[in-house]
Amino acid sequence: MEINREDIMHLGDLSDFDLSGNEAERLKEDLTGIIKYISQLDELDTEGVEPTYQVFEMENVWRDDEIKPQEASREQLLALTEEEKDNQIKVPRIL
Amino acid sequence: MKYIPTIGIECHVQLCTKTKLFSEVDNDARGKEPNSCVSPVDYALPGMLPRLNGEAVRLAVLAGRAMNCEINAYSRFDRKHYFYPDSPKGYQITQFYHPIIGAGYVELPSGTKVRIEHAHLEGDAGKLTHFDNYSLVDLNRVDTPLIEIVSMPDIHSAKDAHDYCKELWRLMRYAGVTYGDLYNGNMRFDVNTSVAPEGSEKLGTRTEVKNLNSFKSVERAVEYEIARQTKVLESGEKVIQQTLGWSDATGKTSPQRSKEVAADYRYMPEPDLPPIRLSNEFIEAESAKLPSMPADYRKKFAAVIAGDVLEVLLDYPELMKRLDKLDEEYIKTIANLFASVLLAEEKSAEYLNDLPTVAELTELAEMNKKKELSSTATKEVFLRLFDPQMKGRGAKTIAKELGLIQENDLGALEAIVDVVLAKPETKKAQEDFRNGEEKVIGFLVGQVMRESHGKANPSVVQEILRKKLA
Repeated sequence: MEINREDIMHLGDLSDFDLSGNEAERLKEDLTGIIKYISQLDELDTEGVEPTYQVFEMENVWRDDEIKPQEASREQLLALTEEEKDNQIKVPRIL
Repeated sequence: MKYIPTIGIECHVQLCTKTKLFSEVDNDARGKEPNSCVSPVDYALPGMLPRLNGEAVRLAVLAGRAMNCEINAYSRFDRKHYFYPDSPKGYQITQFYHPIIGAGYVELPSGTKVRIEHAHLEGDAGKLTHFDNYSLVDLNRVDTPLIEIVSMPDIHSAKDAHDYCKELWRLMRYAGVTYGDLYNGNMRFDVNTSVAPEGSEKLGTRTEVKNLNSFKSVERAVEYEIARQTKVLESGEKVIQQTLGWSDATGKTSPQRSKEVAADYRYMPEPDLPPIRLSNEFIEAESAKLPSMPADYRKKFAAVIAGDVLEVLLDYPELMKRLDKLDEEYIKTIANLFASVLLAEEKSAEYLNDLPTVAELTELAEMNKKKELSSTATKEVFLRLFDPQMKGRGAKTIAKELGLIQENDLGALEAIVDVVLAKPETKKAQEDFRNGEEKVIGFLVGQVMRESHGKANPSVVQEILRKKLA
């Protein structure tokens, strides 16, 4: 699979990364290498094999619907953000 | 040329679980401070793992069955990626490939059947508040459990779109899976509308109006879109496929710049959540908990309660349960009383938060049947049954206290009639009646009613008068 510069810019857009020309070029090379490496798997014949989503054969791992005290407080969580205001996370205006 | 509209609706329903879909934090943020119901999982701190709330699975089964849907034995979760501050994870956990709820249908009061394509479990996003040059993020709503219900494009009018949304709201509340508070966004609707020339085999280009939160806005937005798109086509232009917002104030839709502009979600199976596998026994045992639904009541009460009255009452599941417990001969009387109160403007839904007991309602209906209460007095006592001052005293006690019990005792009534007939001011009326002037009987009945302070039964009074004046 060929990765071109446009793909990189599109992926950058989706994650709101402002990529410079150099960065895009480097990422293109990296991603091309990664996909080439993973593509070795294409040699296997997987005809008729169900997709594997997970390797542990667990099902129905549910918990009870009960409120538990939280280990982290609001103050601790908000302290992790760059900027807060009125107990909310402040971000640049989006729309 | 005639244009036929086609409408499909996606509805998000917030489930009323105690905790969130993937974390053990309070799911009911009503009236709580911003970011006070947030766990490190909701915050997407590195290394935090989601744990599925079993109650959400159970409620999804009930919701599915309420819409006559297949419940899929096997379902699992996927990641839907997007970059926006309402989702710290950078993706929403949803069910893209294997939803828990399969195909089914919802039948509208008109008899129209709207097929359900599927419905799936997913986590809600946080709430943004926009200011001039910044936005504030409140994550209380992150991963509130939702089911998204996707209809087939089976709706062809704004009225049916309205009725479909309303019926979903009823079904979800009867099933007990949501608080159903529209004002607080417990149910939100995205409406896809297209129009095509009559007889055309292909559907027209559709637009999507997002995030409507009342049945009225759904109806108005669809009406607007049908008219707008028809006009576009009639002038020879093309409808542009786009996402629109609706303004209740202007009554118009307008293009929305939104996070969905780049609709490239890169779905992938969620590796942190093992799949759900439901046995038939589990599905049947949970489905058996579904109470009587609107369709059941429509069938059951068709011969007893007028259709339009029933449709008003069906908005209130608790009220229907109470009616269902009444003796059959009293259902109609009590149903009409409830409807008259609900249709009167000053009495709204919260009036019904604390309903009179079956015993109180039965006592009232009995008194009405025995004509101890006139219809006006019955309604008066009915209203008092809700009165905090009078609560719990019972219909009979209240009626007595208010002096509303009707005099049916023939002897006592005859005595009152005699008093009235002896009054000089009624002489002329008596004479006129004897001379064949039928309508003066009304005047005489009125005089007797006044003399009895409104307690006489007017039809009995009229009978006595006719006998005496014969």
